[in-house]
Amino acid sequence: MLHRLRFIPGRLVQSIPVAFGVTLIVFLLAHLLPGNAAVALLGERATAESVAALTAQLGLDEPLWRQYLTFLGQLAHGNLGTSLTYQTPVAQLVLQAIPVTLSLLLYALLIALLISIPLAALAAFRPGGARDLGVRGFTLLGQGMPQFWVGIMLILLLGVGMRAFPVGGYGEDAAGHVYYLFLPALTLAIAMSPTIIRSLRSSMISVLGSEYVGTAKSKGSYGVQLFRGHVLRNAAIPTVSIVGVNLGYLVGGSLVIERVFALPGLGSLMINSIFTRDFPTIQGVTLFVALFVVVVGILTDVVYTALDPRVDLGRTARA
Amino acid sequence: MRRRTGVVGALALTMALALGGCGAADDSGDGGSATGGAPTKGGDLTIARSADIISMDKTTTFDNNSIRVMEQIMEPLFHSSADGSELEPWLASGYTISDDGLTYTIKLRTDVTFSDGTPMTAKDVKFSLDEDTKTGESGWGYINAAIDSVEATDDATITIKLKYAWAPLIADLSLFANGIIPDGYGGKTSEQFYEAPVGTGPFVWDSWKQGQSLKLTANTKYWQKDKPYLSSVQWNVVPDANTRKLQVQGGQIDIDDTPDWSSLASLKSASGVKAETFPSTQIDYVAFNQARAPFQDVHVRRAISYAIDRKAMVKAVLFGNGQEANSLLSPGTPYYDENAGGASLDVAKAKAELAQSSQPNGFTTTLLISSGNPNQASVAQIMQSELKDIGITMEIKQLDPTANKQARLASDFDMAISAWTMDIPDPDQWTSFAVVPTGGAKSAFTSYDNPEVIDLNNRAQKETDSAKRQELYTELQQKTSEDAFLAYLYYSPYVYASTDKVQGFHVTPLGGYLLQDVSKTK
Repeated sequence: MLHRLRFIPGRLVQSIPVAFGVTLIVFLLAHLLPGNAAVALLGERATAESVAALTAQLGLDEPLWRQYLTFLGQLAHGNLGTSLTYQTPVAQLVLQAIPVTLSLLLYALLIALLISIPLAALAAFRPGGARDLGVRGFTLLGQGMPQFWVGIMLILLLGVGMRAFPVGGYGEDAAGHVYYLFLPALTLAIAMSPTIIRSLRSSMISVLGSEYVGTAKSKGSYGVQLFRGHVLRNAAIPTVSIVGVNLGYLVGGSLVIERVFALPGLGSLMINSIFTRDFPTIQGVTLFVALFVVVVGILTDVVYTALDPRVDLGRTARA
Repeated sequence: MRRRTGVVGALALTMALALGGCGAADDSGDGGSATGGAPTKGGDLTIARSADIISMDKTTTFDNNSIRVMEQIMEPLFHSSADGSELEPWLASGYTISDDGLTYTIKLRTDVTFSDGTPMTAKDVKFSLDEDTKTGESGWGYINAAIDSVEATDDATITIKLKYAWAPLIADLSLFANGIIPDGYGGKTSEQFYEAPVGTGPFVWDSWKQGQSLKLTANTKYWQKDKPYLSSVQWNVVPDANTRKLQVQGGQIDIDDTPDWSSLASLKSASGVKAETFPSTQIDYVAFNQARAPFQDVHVRRAISYAIDRKAMVKAVLFGNGQEANSLLSPGTPYYDENAGGASLDVAKAKAELAQSSQPNGFTTTLLISSGNPNQASVAQIMQSELKDIGITMEIKQLDPTANKQARLASDFDMAISAWTMDIPDPDQWTSFAVVPTGGAKSAFTSYDNPEVIDLNNRAQKETDSAKRQELYTELQQKTSEDAFLAYLYYSPYVYASTDKVQGFHVTPLGGYLLQDVSKTK
C-alpha cells in the first residue's frame, strides 16, 4: 500500500508554484480595485490629507512589486503579515476562521453521504421504477434550487417556525458547534448530494450488472451483505473523485452560506477583507484556500488508491 | 467494513449531539421576572449588527460599530441629552466660562472611579484630552483644535485655555474621542491599553472573537448606583439583514441594529418583537461636484433640486418612515431652521431654472452610488426618471463602498449620493466640513466656495450667545439652500428591532445608546 502513495511528495512540490501563482493573481486583482485600506478605515468625514497620511503609514504607497516582494519575504519567515484593518497577525485571523469552514465542509460532506448512499441504492436496485424516478426528481430539485434560498427556507422552517435550530452563529463548544452548524451544513449537503447520488447510482447500476455480483449472488450473497461487500465499495471509486472536486467547489459555496448563517469562517473573512481592501488578509485566505484545494486533491487520490488496489499513481508509465 | 461502522457511529453521535444541544439551548434563559416597577437586575443582552468593531482606540477609530462599544467603556465629561437638544454634565459636575470666552473652568464629580478601582482625578482628564488633541491629522484631534492648554488646577478641577473663542467646546468634550481614561494609560503603552481599555463606563471589556462577537460585562464599581442592570452585553456579527431579522423573530438575539426599511412592517406585526424608530441627525443628500461642468452653474443645481420628488423617495426608500429634507441641518441638530428654504418638487421651476442655465437644452451626466445599497439604488432610479422629464439624461454609476469613497475623495464624480450624521450636538462639526473648502474635504467634496457663508460659519463658531448663534445659523441655512450646493433628499430616523424582553433601550439623535439604562425581563 505504502509504495503506492509515493506520488504524495511530488504532488506537494508541484503545489508550491500553483499556490504562488494563485496568490500573485489575487494580489494583482485586489490591487486593481480602486481604494485602499486607508480609505476604508477612515470614516465618511475623512479628508484627502488624512487618507494620504494613513496610506503612507500603512505602506500602501509603495510600488506594487515591492509590496508583493514584502509579502513573499514575510512568507519565507512563516509570517502572513499583519491585517490592515485589525492590526493583528493575519495568521491569527486565518487560524480562527479555518476550524469553522473546515467543520462546516466536513459536516456537510457527512450529511451529504448520509443522504446520498441510501437514496442512490434505492434508485439503483430498480432503475426506472417509481423509487428511481422519485430520487431523480430529488436530484433535479436539489441542483435547481439556489443555495442561499435553500438556507433561508431551512431557517424559516426549522429555525423560526419550529425553533429547533439557531438562526446563524457558531456556538461556544464542540456540542454547540455541531448544533449551530447543522442548518448550514444541511444546506450545503442538499446542494452537494445530487452530484453524488447521480454518480453513485449509475456506477451501482453497472456494478449490479457485473459478473462478479452475479457470482456473489449465486453464492448466496444478497441484501445488505451483498451491498456492503460487493456493490458499495466498487461503486464508490468514481464517486470519490467527484466528492474531491466538489469539496473544492464547495469552498466557494460556503462563502454564501457563511454569510447567510453569520458564520465567522474563511468566507466571511474573505468578503470583509475585500470590502476593506485588507490586502494581507486577502492574500492569507487565498493562500490557504489554494493549499486546501491542492491537499483535497491529493487526499482524493489517496482514498482512490486505498479503495482500488489496481491504482498506482506513482508509476508514470507501464510497459 | 470496520471503517464504515465508524462513519455510521460518528453520524449517530453527531445527531445525538445536535439533539442534546437543542435541549441545552432551550434551557438558557436570562433575567428575572418583571412585573413592572424597578428594572430587572441581571441578564445578558445580545445585539446583532452587520459588521465587527475595528479598534477600541477612541482617538483614531471612525466606524460607528467600534464607537458604540467604546461609549459603554469610556465616558466623556459631558453628554448629549436624550433628545439631543442640549448637553448634560456627566463626569463633570458643571463649568464656568471667563468673560472673554477664552477660559473654561470645569468641575469634576468626585465619586467616579475607573473600573479597576482607582479614583478619577483631574490628572486623568488632562491626560485624556491631551491624548486626543495629539492625534492630529489621522484621528479625531481636529475636534480639539481650539484648545491651547488643559491644566489640572486641583484634583477635581480642570482649566481649559482656548486659542480663540470657540462656542462648540462643551459639545466637543462630549465626543467619545474625548472620553476619560487613566493617566499614562495606567502604566501601559497605548497599544496594550486599547487591547482591553479601562474607563469609568457601565461596562468592562471582556473578550473579542474577531469577526464573530464581542462581549462586555457589568462594571461593579460604576458611579451611577445600582446600574447597569444587565450582567453582560454581547454584539454578534451578522452581515445578512434577513438573518438578523429572523434571529430577532426567533428570539436568538435581543436587538437587531439596522433592520431593512422594507422589513419594518412585518417586524412590527411579528409577535414578541418591537420595531422602534428614533429621531436622528442624519441627512441624505446629492452632492454636486462644482469642479466639473455644468455644476458651477447655480441654475443647473437648482433645476435638479426642484426636479426631485422627495415625498416619493420617503415612501419608496423609507417606507414612509422619515421626512423630506429642507435644510443643510437636520431637525435633530441644534439651530435647525424649518424655514431654511430648501427646494421641494416643482417641475415648472425646475424647467425655468434649466432654461436660464448654461445648458438650456439639457445635458448628460452621471450619479455615483454605492453598489449593494438598495436605498441609494431606489433614489437613483427615481431621480433618473425625474431628470429625464426636464431634459437631463442621468446615468447611474455603481461602485463598491470603498471605491465609491475613493472616487468622492478624488472628486471623480459628477453627482454623488451621500449622507451625514452628527457626532456632537453642535452644528459646527457638519457646517465646517460642508462649507469650508480649505478644511481638507473641499466642502464635502463639492468644491463649494461662498465667502459669505464661510464668514457666517466663522462667526457662529465664536458666538457663545445662543440667540445670536441661532440667527447666524438660520442665515447660513438659507444661503446654502439658495446656492443649492447639495440637493437635500430626506431625514431618516434610526431603526432598531428588539424582542419585547428588552426594556429601557433608547437611541439619541447622535446614534448613541446608554446600555446602563437597559434591562431585560424573563
